[in-house]
Amino acid sequence: MSYFIDLVVVGLSLGMVYALVALGISLIYSGLDVVHFAHGEIYMFGAVIGLFLYDEFHLPFPLVLLGSMILTGLLGVFIERVFYRRILRTGGGYTVAGLGMVICGFGMSIVLQNVAYLIWGPKARPFPVTFGMPVELGNITLPAAYVWIVLAALVLMAALHIFLKKTRLGLAVRAVAGNKEIAYLMGINVPLTISVIFGVACALGAAAGVLVAPINYVQVLMGTGVLIKAFAAAVIGGFGSLPGAVLGGLLVGVTESLGAGYLSGSYKDIYAFILLIFVLMVRPAGVFGVLVKVKA
Amino acid sequence: MLTTTDVVGGYGSVQILNGVSLKVVRGQIVALLGGNGTGKSTMLKVLSGLIKPWRGSIVFDGERIDGMRPDRIVRRGLVQVTQGKEAYPAMTVEENLLLGAHVCTDRAARARGLARAYEYFPILKERRRQLSGTLSGGQLQMLCIGRGLMSEPKMMLLDEPSAALAPQLVLDIFRTIGRICRDGMTLLMVEQNVRMALLLAEYGYVIKDGVIHLEGPAEKMINDDAVRLSYLGGTVAGRDEKMAL
Ligand SMILES: Nc1ncnc2c1ncn2[C@@H]1O[C@H](COP(=O)(O)OP(=O)(O)O)[C@@H](O)[C@H]1O
Ligand SMILES: [Mg+2]
Repeated sequence: MSYFIDLVVVGLSLGMVYALVALGISLIYSGLDVVHFAHGEIYMFGAVIGLFLYDEFHLPFPLVLLGSMILTGLLGVFIERVFYRRILRTGGGYTVAGLGMVICGFGMSIVLQNVAYLIWGPKARPFPVTFGMPVELGNITLPAAYVWIVLAALVLMAALHIFLKKTRLGLAVRAVAGNKEIAYLMGINVPLTISVIFGVACALGAAAGVLVAPINYVQVLMGTGVLIKAFAAAVIGGFGSLPGAVLGGLLVGVTESLGAGYLSGSYKDIYAFILLIFVLMVRPAGVFGVLVKVKA
Repeated sequence: MLTTTDVVGGYGSVQILNGVSLKVVRGQIVALLGGNGTGKSTMLKVLSGLIKPWRGSIVFDGERIDGMRPDRIVRRGLVQVTQGKEAYPAMTVEENLLLGAHVCTDRAARARGLARAYEYFPILKERRRQLSGTLSGGQLQMLCIGRGLMSEPKMMLLDEPSAALAPQLVLDIFRTIGRICRDGMTLLMVEQNVRMALLLAEYGYVIKDGVIHLEGPAEKMINDDAVRLSYLGGTVAGRDEKMAL
């Protein structure tokens, strides 16, 4: 029984990581009508920047997390302003121009991988932060890193929720996601709000990268696998739905962990997709999704 | 308050407006009339900045606004309420209203805006926690007008506020629009309900083939043979209708 609980807890914490990446993908999708295929590299940059802050400045872990989120968020805003905006201006979504954006996302993913490779090299590096003693809950013992992931992710999700529901800027973000023309007529600076959406989505991806770094190594190619699983998570939850992204992330994490624990660890990466196929068979639009896109 | 000179514009390469010149005096209601598809909504979109005019000038409150981004135009006090009652269905009534006050960073101004919208449209206060997707057509129109008022604009552009409403509601909406104007607002109103619009307005323009075809004081227009024949079905406006407003 405690083995089962261990697996679930590990799955939930990995699921939180997927959920954070999926939240970013869904946020960008609902705001910009495009699927961002370079989000795995944003996650990788988050981890790399976090490691840099840790190595160079010996900051405490929460500050590393925050610093990496801010810097990666700004990197995201830069990428959106300089590269994506020109393509998005010609139209997004399901148009041919939207397809251009998909290709551009793949291109950006390769560019970011190579930039990271040139700066930091191909070697997997450890993130040697120590979180202290394992946490004891009844008769199970959890490494503190997992507890950190869960707590930090919960705090970030709550912050995102409050931002979207309670603040003036958050309301503007939802308006831009719902209908850009009307948002303009409300006096909202739509281009700036799109940058905010992109920045927040990248900051969430970075947080996932920093949180996972202490239990994994930091390496240039770490983003590809996570992107695909976060994508599966977003689809399972209902693409574009934020609660769906979280639920999908947790489901993927737990399925993967249980599958690895009880079936076989070497097939770890396929459980997420078995789950994906199963969910799409039962509910083609995902758990919280609607087939016709109703937004905001 | 608002003067346009020879505004030319359209969608893509299709020219819809072929040089529209009109003028709205401060504190007045001006009606912009015309048949379906003649470019009335297009003209309002040009004024609010959603479409950039190709040529011509638009001066609002002493400043050129043609080619300006829509959010900047809102900040200068010119707000459009679009045709088709477009609210955010997944947001509550109050969230929709607060969006209208996006340009006001000051809490007091936002609260003032809410109080004003609820005063004109008390039903919105009752429904404020409800998702706007659950409102009826009339309530949705009230929400859109109320939302337009939230930023305390100097002038509003209303696109067919009475479209697709029950007759009793039409009267209500027109009455409230009259009240909004008497409280100091300047209004440019596109309407299909030509008679009501002319009864309420001080001045009227008729747009046809993308140019101003007819114009004049509303009193005169409502009795004008040309307008009567093409837009009012040849009838004469009744005195009691005017009283109702
Ligand atoms: N988004 C659009 N793209 C292309 N053409 C449009 C668009 N909206 C309206 N039109 C065309 O512009 C003309 C004027 O439309 P509009 O201004 O909406 O007329 P109305 O006077 O009924 O409000 C119509 O012929 C319409 O087909
Ligand atoms: Mg129209």
